Amino acid sequence: MKRQVPLSKITRSRVALAILLCLWLERGYPESIPNKVNPDSVYIIINSANPQRQISQTGLNAIFNMRLRHWNDGSPITVYVLQDEDPLHKTFCKQKLRVFPHQIRRGWNRLVFSGTGQAPLVVETKEEMLKQVMETPGAVGYLSGKDLTSAVQILEIQ
Amino acid sequence: MHHSPIHFKHDLFFTCSCIAALAFSATTSAQNLNINKWLPDSVQVHGFLSQGFINTSDNNFFGHSEGSLSTDFRELGVNGSWSALPDLQLALQVVWRDAGQTDEDGFRIDYGLANYNLLSTESSLLAIRAGRVPTPLGFYNETRDVAATRPSIFLPQSIYFDRNRNLALSADGGYLYGEHRTEFGDFSFNFGLITPRTDDPEFMNTILRGEAGTLEGNTSWVARLSYEAPDKGVRLAVTYAEFLSDFHSSRSLSNEGSFHFSPLILSAQYNAEKWSLTAEYALRRTRLDYFHSSDIGFTGQSYYIQGTYRFTDKLEGLVRYDELIWDLDDQYGYRYPARLGPSFSRYARDWTFGLRYEILPSLLASAEYHHINGTGWLPHLENPQQEAQRWDMFAFMLSYNF
Repeated sequence: MKRQVPLSKITRSRVALAILLCLWLERGYPESIPNKVNPDSVYIIINSANPQRQISQTGLNAIFNMRLRHWNDGSPITVYVLQDEDPLHKTFCKQKLRVFPHQIRRGWNRLVFSGTGQAPLVVETKEEMLKQVMETPGAVGYLSGKDLTSAVQILEIQ
Repeated sequence: MHHSPIHFKHDLFFTCSCIAALAFSATTSAQNLNINKWLPDSVQVHGFLSQGFINTSDNNFFGHSEGSLSTDFRELGVNGSWSALPDLQLALQVVWRDAGQTDEDGFRIDYGLANYNLLSTESSLLAIRAGRVPTPLGFYNETRDVAATRPSIFLPQSIYFDRNRNLALSADGGYLYGEHRTEFGDFSFNFGLITPRTDDPEFMNTILRGEAGTLEGNTSWVARLSYEAPDKGVRLAVTYAEFLSDFHSSRSLSNEGSFHFSPLILSAQYNAEKWSLTAEYALRRTRLDYFHSSDIGFTGQSYYIQGTYRFTDKLEGLVRYDELIWDLDDQYGYRYPARLGPSFSRYARDWTFGLRYEILPSLLASAEYHHINGTGWLPHLENPQQEAQRWDMFAFMLSYNF
């Protein structure tokens, strides 16, 4: 019995600490980014002027496969990706598009070399990805949660 | 003639180009050539360059390869595309290709087309394409020039004949393309009315039986239905086409008529993370209708089974069995007239073992070994004398694309 008292005290203080931490974290992330951002997950990011907030899984695949070339409001889509061998690109392909990076590369090559489509624009770093999506109207790309800022918008997958 | 000074100059030029490309790709960022950074986002320029080295135990394939090393196989192409509107794209590809006597040092426009999306939503696409459009035949045809899009140096020859590659690659005409994406996979159709290209020396030689004359494409059509579920790694396709051309010999009046070729191709592929399995089967009906003599017709069959394994991200191995039969009624060519060629020219069975290594994301080195029984797809132009039934081929290729 004696032991339970300090234990509950510890629990209470831990809860308080967790709440404080959450509040602090919430302040750490800007308002436009949902509170549930996981620093290790991959997020689809779009230019903040884009009114669209959601897309279906098939729509997302169509965009990154370079098949869907305009947003719901008709404005053109500009797709940015990291290099094929970039670990974040590999994670993005597997987790968000559910394909292997070499499959998506083959798809782009088929479009480019048959004249029926274009390849996405390749950026070399996460910083460049953020900059391009920030500055290009209609841009779409991806970043991990820890690199997100309020200058870009998250595109939710329905 | 293969080792004339002119050819030597070409070889030197190309070897230099390959080295330059290597140095260039090593110093610029992979995949994305800097040229695209200076262009507006709606304009893209891509290209490829490849040089092959071929050695055969017997028979010549793409140059003087028998007991020698032929460097007479090279491809160079540049394409530009402009996305004028989100749903309107213009694209043009110019290619320079040399493949022994089957394709001699020439520039040509492989495609020049406009693609307009009539309807484009998250789940559907309906588009029209017009101009010179790559022909949708099976899995590999539309991009067959680009080494990086081929699983091996030579595509399975029973279906993707290299000796008449221009005829198969692209044609002038218009297409209607539709795609519907669902959670179970993507369904698409492609239907086109076309006029085939007839600029392959080997094709012309075969149809006109070596005589001078003309060969002109006539209204033809092609249709392909595909199903693709990338998350499950599955690709399936059915292709059917009717190619028509009219021929007219300037030497003999009787050698005049029309050529009909109608292939049916079934394609299937399974992709896992490390390996993939591909098989295609083709039933090919050929008919020569002569104006002044009785028709000739035969039905042939082709198929291959191919497995690839990715040892690492950069190294991939390939094993393939490929079989071609020109006439199902005479599979071993026993009834084939000796004056037209040996019986073993009516089939080809090809075992291929290959390796490809990605030196850089844009630079690929491939090597392969073929053991072939039969000369069914051997270019006859390059083998005017005796052909050997069993032969081996080694090939090495360096290719760069951006």
